[in-house]
Amino acid sequence: MIRKSWYLPRRTLLKGGGIALALPLLNAMNWPLGTSGAGLQKSAENDLPKRMLISYFAYGAYMPDGPSGLPFPKNQSQKAAHHPWSWWPCADAGRLSFNQSSQPFAPLKDDISYLRGLDHAGGWKLGGHSSGDVFATGADMMGAEKTNNISIDQMAAQVHGHKTRYASLVLGTEGGTGSYGSCKTLSHRGPGRPIPSLHRPQEIFNRLFKPYAGKGVDQVRAELKREASILDLVLEHSRAFKRGVGKEDQSKLDEYLESVRALEQRVERTSQWTQQPLPDVETKGLNLEVSHRDPEEYIRCMYDLIYLAFRTDSTRFASLMLESEQSSSSEMWNYATYVLGYRGSTHDIAHKRPADFSGQWDQWRAKQHSYFLQRLRDSPEGDGNMLDRTIVLWGSAHPHASHSTKNYPIQIAGGRHLGFTHGQLHDFIGTRKVPLSNLFVSMLNSVDVPVESFADSTGAMTEIIN
Amino acid sequence: MIHQRFTVLFCLMLLPVLGFMVPATTHDPGNSITFTAAADDFETLVRPFLQVHCVRCHGAEQTEGGLDLDTLDGDLSLGEEFEQWEMILDVLDSGEMPPENETQPDTAKRERVAQWIGGRLHDLAKQDNGELTSTRIRRLSNLEYQNTIIDLLGIDLNVIDDLPKDPTKPYQFNNTAEFMLLGPEQIDRYLEVARRVMASAIVDPQKPKVHQIRRDWDSGESHPGFAKPLNRNEIPIHNARRGTPGQGMGIKSPPETGEFRIRFQASAVFPNGETELPLRFVMGYDLNINSSTQPIEPVGVVHLKNGTEQPKVYELRGRIENFPVQKGKMHKGKQRPDRLTITPQNIYDDGTLNDENNFLYWPRQPDMPRAVVDWIEFETPISDVWPPAHHTDILFESSLKSEAPREYVRQVLSRFMSRAYRRPATMEEIDRFVNVYELLKPDLETLEATMRETLAMVLVTPQFLLHTQADDDVVGKDYELASRLSYFLWGSMPDQTLLDLAAHGNLNDPAQLAIQVDRLLADSRSRQFFANFTIQWLNLDKLKTVPINRDLFPRFLYYVEAGERAGTEKPYRPTIRDHMIDETVSFIEDLIRRNATVSQVVDSDFAMLNQPLAAHYGVSGVEGNEVRPVSLEGEHHLGGLLTHGSVLIANSTGSAPHPIYRAVWLREAILGEHVKPPPPEVPALSESAGESVDQVLNIKEMLALHRSDTNCRACHARLDPWGIPFERYNAIGNYQPMGPKAGTKIRGFNREQDGTLEGYFEYLQGINTEVIAAKSKLPNGPQVDGMRELKNYLLESRLDDVAENILRRLMTYGLGRELTYRDRMEIDTILAESKPDEFPLKTMVVRICQSPLFRGIRK
Repeated sequence: MIRKSWYLPRRTLLKGGGIALALPLLNAMNWPLGTSGAGLQKSAENDLPKRMLISYFAYGAYMPDGPSGLPFPKNQSQKAAHHPWSWWPCADAGRLSFNQSSQPFAPLKDDISYLRGLDHAGGWKLGGHSSGDVFATGADMMGAEKTNNISIDQMAAQVHGHKTRYASLVLGTEGGTGSYGSCKTLSHRGPGRPIPSLHRPQEIFNRLFKPYAGKGVDQVRAELKREASILDLVLEHSRAFKRGVGKEDQSKLDEYLESVRALEQRVERTSQWTQQPLPDVETKGLNLEVSHRDPEEYIRCMYDLIYLAFRTDSTRFASLMLESEQSSSSEMWNYATYVLGYRGSTHDIAHKRPADFSGQWDQWRAKQHSYFLQRLRDSPEGDGNMLDRTIVLWGSAHPHASHSTKNYPIQIAGGRHLGFTHGQLHDFIGTRKVPLSNLFVSMLNSVDVPVESFADSTGAMTEIIN
Repeated sequence: MIHQRFTVLFCLMLLPVLGFMVPATTHDPGNSITFTAAADDFETLVRPFLQVHCVRCHGAEQTEGGLDLDTLDGDLSLGEEFEQWEMILDVLDSGEMPPENETQPDTAKRERVAQWIGGRLHDLAKQDNGELTSTRIRRLSNLEYQNTIIDLLGIDLNVIDDLPKDPTKPYQFNNTAEFMLLGPEQIDRYLEVARRVMASAIVDPQKPKVHQIRRDWDSGESHPGFAKPLNRNEIPIHNARRGTPGQGMGIKSPPETGEFRIRFQASAVFPNGETELPLRFVMGYDLNINSSTQPIEPVGVVHLKNGTEQPKVYELRGRIENFPVQKGKMHKGKQRPDRLTITPQNIYDDGTLNDENNFLYWPRQPDMPRAVVDWIEFETPISDVWPPAHHTDILFESSLKSEAPREYVRQVLSRFMSRAYRRPATMEEIDRFVNVYELLKPDLETLEATMRETLAMVLVTPQFLLHTQADDDVVGKDYELASRLSYFLWGSMPDQTLLDLAAHGNLNDPAQLAIQVDRLLADSRSRQFFANFTIQWLNLDKLKTVPINRDLFPRFLYYVEAGERAGTEKPYRPTIRDHMIDETVSFIEDLIRRNATVSQVVDSDFAMLNQPLAAHYGVSGVEGNEVRPVSLEGEHHLGGLLTHGSVLIANSTGSAPHPIYRAVWLREAILGEHVKPPPPEVPALSESAGESVDQVLNIKEMLALHRSDTNCRACHARLDPWGIPFERYNAIGNYQPMGPKAGTKIRGFNREQDGTLEGYFEYLQGINTEVIAAKSKLPNGPQVDGMRELKNYLLESRLDDVAENILRRLMTYGLGRELTYRDRMEIDTILAESKPDEFPLKTMVVRICQSPLFRGIRK
């Protein structure tokens, strides 16, 4: 019998119990503990981390209510009943109520909002199987920009990444970068620079919590120092090489040189971080060898790792590509078969929209995401909980009809102490087009990235901000 | 004079938009094309032609396929319209456009327009030849990287899993320069891997303690009293008993690096006069738990032909780094040691394993061959001489070592770097790494440790990670060519022969190139090329993830019968789908090696089969697991790529054939046309045929429905007809001419009642009562009924297209970049040269390597 990864973490994952772990860490970071006065407490609260996660699922969701998932225009007299298996929890804008599909989120009703009618103009021309590429970037790949562009998690990581051991955590279920039009990662450093996602739990864990591979800190420091000077020599070596290369190939060499330079900077930074003790996290209870054959175990394990990274303040910005559109050669293709016994590829559900499996599949996804949100919510932090200080975007780049690239399913959760207010379904359907990027502007602002615009934004998403 | 006229035209066209196109007015006239009288032809010939035949659908009003031909002007040197022009040329050439139901232009006019476009593209290609024709620099793909490490260090190390995955795209090669990005994460991994492989390559002076373990099994009866006894040293096909070798042998606390050897004494029991039993050894986690996800790696296979009266001793070798070690768990407060488990597996497979009678458990598989293993010995490291050869290849024995240490280091670096860079390292380059060495030495102390780190750094330099590029000062064209050849045909670095030829300047010569292509293809390393090329070209990756409908095809896969995982595919064994990949790769390998003609890709009188494959396809007389050529009869309904199980299954739903997938495959992979993905906002087909036994839907009618929808018609009218002739090949790639009657409810498969082989066939006959329709009118082609007629049509009318497609695929793969209109001339030349001999495949590969494009000659 395989040990379920979600059985243990709450109890045993963090040595000495959940909260005991967070405190010494905060001490080490010179955050006042804040029991000695209201003013100090206030500043302690302000200094607590502000986090963000973007989580993506592919193929859209079930929205049988109307064309492209938008509700049918209603007559005054007849109020259409909301479909129990629609991805949207309720029919009308306003206070949330939960249908079967969204039932797993019922315990979180004051911590989430649904936003209906949003999308990226940059995704329209990309085609149904590719619009996921720009979910976290909003880039106009097919138009003015030609290539993808920086994603919001990286935007935030550029500003605040230095505050944690890792600037960001980029995860996926298939790993790597994928190609144009079939990305396997949500995060992009900038134009044409996708960041490969990590997808093996054991490896992610080791990179996060065992970066020294059993070596002592002094040894690691000495090695890093050496490494910095060698990288310097390699850079010099490569620059010399670059001079001999034809002009059409210079850009490839620049790509290389930039990468080595970034590595050098990271060595520097890692070296600084050796001054701080590593969080003590046990693997006990985490099933790090879980594979795609156990979808629920696997997905929860990925969520657990993000939770742990946040909990230990190892990073504050993460992305998780739960599914990619072009997964026909990976086990993701069979997830619905493993989970629900669906006879067909998972992607088929999006095309055929069978009434039974579509809803069940969405509900299964909802369960996994809700599991993560609840873990955050159940972890006290400051005068609230971790979810209050973590803004979590969950959605897809397609609605109901598989090839459509408009009206994304979008749920935003957490961040109540960062200015967000929840509990409603908001409708943005109408003549005035509200870009999804407006939400991005608000998300960035809430984690102290002062931007006024992002991609095609026309302002901030005032509807869900206090 | 002519030039002037063009300039006038050019300016006229610009006038209305001059304000927006400032850079264009500074366009250097010397750089633009010298138009011949043909410039007139655009206004008098081409534009009117486009106006009459094209712009109604591809114009400002309606932009079918995203094409607006209204805006095209006659100047191809501006903007990015080459691709559009090339596409127009292609559809005119193939007769694909205008669509059949539109007024057709007369042939002469069509040809004149095609000639005009072709001429302009050629002019343009000539014009900027020398500027952009060279291959763009690119990094090694992961596979190339791993093979290079193996050949460079002389040890067989698996490193692919530690690198970020290469980007892949259906029908495209993952060595395409445009996709090959380099980021910090990548360099980081390269550095990690480099350190790891250098730790394996350079050993410490003291030979480590030899790790040795042996286990014996006697031939006594296991579990006496069972109706069908099994001896304690016997391994049945499934479910080895406790205490028998099939349960594996554990190795505690294995070392982290080193070569190992597994020796064992084995024989086989052949109850029915079988002749051969493949015995496979895998190593990694313990497989005796109810899980299908324990990581293991195969060590090797031996083919047992000896009976129990003459047991033999066999030997397998490998590198311990490549096998997943099971971490020791904490048990009652004590840390248990890490562990590797060696498991021998009887992988005999005559294709009937899934018959109810032979199913899984021993008492039910009495008539199947058993392997007998008397003992297994494991030993590591096994080098008789210490240090081993891979070490002394780098740190060679020399008196310099003690007498002139600095000179020794320089020589070590010079040798290693010149191999790693696939061309002689320069003095300057060596000097830099002598500096690195000296910087490291005080910290790392020993020669071995310092050299490991220094050489690891060599392996993250661009000279190693990027494909070798000629430059004017240091690197001769021949070295670039040597690398291009070896990465094309071996997926690895050039060997000494190629490097020597390059050093003497003897490689860049057509006759020598022909000899080298022959030699490279004959070498076993070319399997890397055949496999990598074929799988990506034909988009076979998705084969293994198609979920097979077990109700409809109960005998196709081997299922776990009981326990938590009942009904899932039996893990840890080579499956029929692995064999199918092997079949397709071996087929292409065989055709190219034999220099067969392109027509055999479409149809052949042989197939590459082993016993499980033969059983699947219903071909008799094939024994054993080795794939080999088997001649075919008409009744087999096989031949060519189009009937390969790999292709048919990858393009099915697992329940039913998928004519659209198959049509896309045929057009992309065989005819070389690019099929656009469905545009946004197009509703999906609501149902598929054959989804369940309750829903027998007729695919043809459904497709007709599809084509009647205005959103879908434009593309699907040209797509679907290509998939219909495949219909008599079912979802698991079998010829199945009969199907259930449309609209009826069929009886499901009943394991009790239909379990036997006869019962299964009776069941199939009972439900499949109607001949499946496979008749289809091909776009711009004749009506064909079924696969035979489709193949005939391809052979008679489309062979040039097939040849061009395969040539382009090979060329793209060989150059590692997308082809552009500039490469058209080269392609046309090779095609024209190959046509008289009916496009022999190996000759085409040779011609690619001899072409100026491949050799980097600028005209």
